[in-house]
Amino acid sequence: MDASYLDLVMAQQEETFKDAEGGGGVWVVAESAGGEIAPVTLEAVGVARTLAESLGAYVYAALLGDGVRLLAETLYQAGVDGVRVADHPGLSPFGLEPHLGILVDLFEAEGPEIVLFGATEMGRALAPRLAQRMGGGLIERGTRVSLDPSSRTVEAAVPMYGGEYFEVLACPEARPQVLTIEPGTFARPFMDRYRKGEPTMLDVEPGEPAVRVLGPAEGFRPPEVGLSEASVVVAVGRQAGDRARVERLAEMLGGRVAGDRGAWDAGLVEADQVVDVRGVRVSPEVYLAVGIRGDTFHDAAMADSAFVVAIHADPDAPIFEKADLCVTAEPGEVVRALLTALG
Amino acid sequence: MRILVILRRVLDPAGLVAHARLRRLFINREEYLIEPGDHAALEAALRIKDGGGAEVVVVSGQPEPDDDTLRRGLAMGADRAIYLSGAGFADADDGVAAEVLKATVERLGGADLVLVGMTRLDTGQAQLGPRLAGALGWPQIVGAWSVEIADGRIRAVRRDGDDYVIVETDLPAVVTVPAKALEPRYPDGARLINVYRGEGGMAEAVLQWDVADLMDPEGLVPLLEGRGRDFPPERERGVRVEGSIEEAAQAVAEALRGRRPG
Repeated sequence: MDASYLDLVMAQQEETFKDAEGGGGVWVVAESAGGEIAPVTLEAVGVARTLAESLGAYVYAALLGDGVRLLAETLYQAGVDGVRVADHPGLSPFGLEPHLGILVDLFEAEGPEIVLFGATEMGRALAPRLAQRMGGGLIERGTRVSLDPSSRTVEAAVPMYGGEYFEVLACPEARPQVLTIEPGTFARPFMDRYRKGEPTMLDVEPGEPAVRVLGPAEGFRPPEVGLSEASVVVAVGRQAGDRARVERLAEMLGGRVAGDRGAWDAGLVEADQVVDVRGVRVSPEVYLAVGIRGDTFHDAAMADSAFVVAIHADPDAPIFEKADLCVTAEPGEVVRALLTALG
Repeated sequence: MRILVILRRVLDPAGLVAHARLRRLFINREEYLIEPGDHAALEAALRIKDGGGAEVVVVSGQPEPDDDTLRRGLAMGADRAIYLSGAGFADADDGVAAEVLKATVERLGGADLVLVGMTRLDTGQAQLGPRLAGALGWPQIVGAWSVEIADGRIRAVRRDGDDYVIVETDLPAVVTVPAKALEPRYPDGARLINVYRGEGGMAEAVLQWDVADLMDPEGLVPLLEGRGRDFPPERERGVRVEGSIEEAAQAVAEALRGRRPG
């Protein structure tokens, strides 16, 4: 009896099985800081787990550094299935070329489908170079990540103009699909204390980095100081009323005076005080919007404020949609009353 | 010493409204800015030119009409401008753009330094500079707040956590510049007029290169594709403070007292 067709069927099945395995899984390039795994790496592991579960793949981590071997334990607890460790004095502090060389060698052997980085200084320098070297696509600073299971393609939402809206990007053909995720965007995975594993040590001989760090830049001050880091911001619009009162209010609250574009047009604030996506972005504890109507790009630049108080005469002013506390009244009068109430 | 500066353009956010409730993006005015990072990168190049002399070449490849971007660059003080024309490059992503720019550097007969903005204003992507460095096989400095050239080396100030460090590498190199690093200068008035004048003016300083001549069009397939837009959830409306102005002020003061840091 001729059973050769069975071989054929088996071969086909094997073929499909290989496809389904789809290369070398989901990889996280881990980062350590101060003798611990960086929080963003754990977030990346959480994302990797979700993707891997939909894909039917394993999660791996590559951990590069000096004296990092024991940190592999944390990665296993976070849900990584396999850790590759390159432990070498030449890998700390971070240098691009040594890291890149090791990762390219590793990934050429493993053929990852997805590679995740944290969007840190290391990730920002390394991820594009890795994608370029391996011919993969890179989506930076993904905030929402999902999977199109039919094509095994990751879809990631990238904040446009700092989060005003999102553009969903995907890398349909090129592999690996490289992603960086913004620190603090995703939840950390559950740490399973009973989860253990034995990392594979890589035998590496890192090269010399092309960029040498000469030392701290003493006396260097970045041009922008203050406003974007201020914890209280009192922002004025055209209808803010008496400028001197607003300044007194800011002083009382220990904050900085800013304004929207309208206030700048009216000459109430300087160009470097304009809260706008093209000007200064602020993320204070308290943002007091005095007589600001609120437009898309002002609102986007202050959207990270923890607590927003809006004072405007028009009950339909868009700023009220962004505010936690809304006062519908003549702003100048409210500021005057507020000075009394605080004083 | 030749410095190539990449000037991209970006849709001016002032003309856009993202409407979260309608989940739509309205483009009310289609106006373009020079990508702020690229603008700062050009300023960095011009400062090197002012300091020790250099030829500054600006390159752009956006869809036509895109004269203004390059002409603004010339008016600020660049010596030459290259406009990369041709289909394929207009909607190229950074992976393709890096390959095209590599071919541009080669056609130009090399360059000592390529400067480009670090992060795009719109998409927040920061991969063009590093990808180009990788394609050229040059060292890269990501996020240089100041740039100096001495003895065939480049020295830059870069962020390191919360601090700043001085880094150094050999030329040629690719350096990316944060938008806030340098305040771009205003174009020189006479030059600004001159760049639009054909005869005897600087209009001839804009070279037009066809991307198809630079590289195989098959290499122009973008790696990434857009799959639609998404909008953030609307923030819930806050509490309206009722009552007289004095009562409202009292309520705000109470809330602020509870919130005052420190």
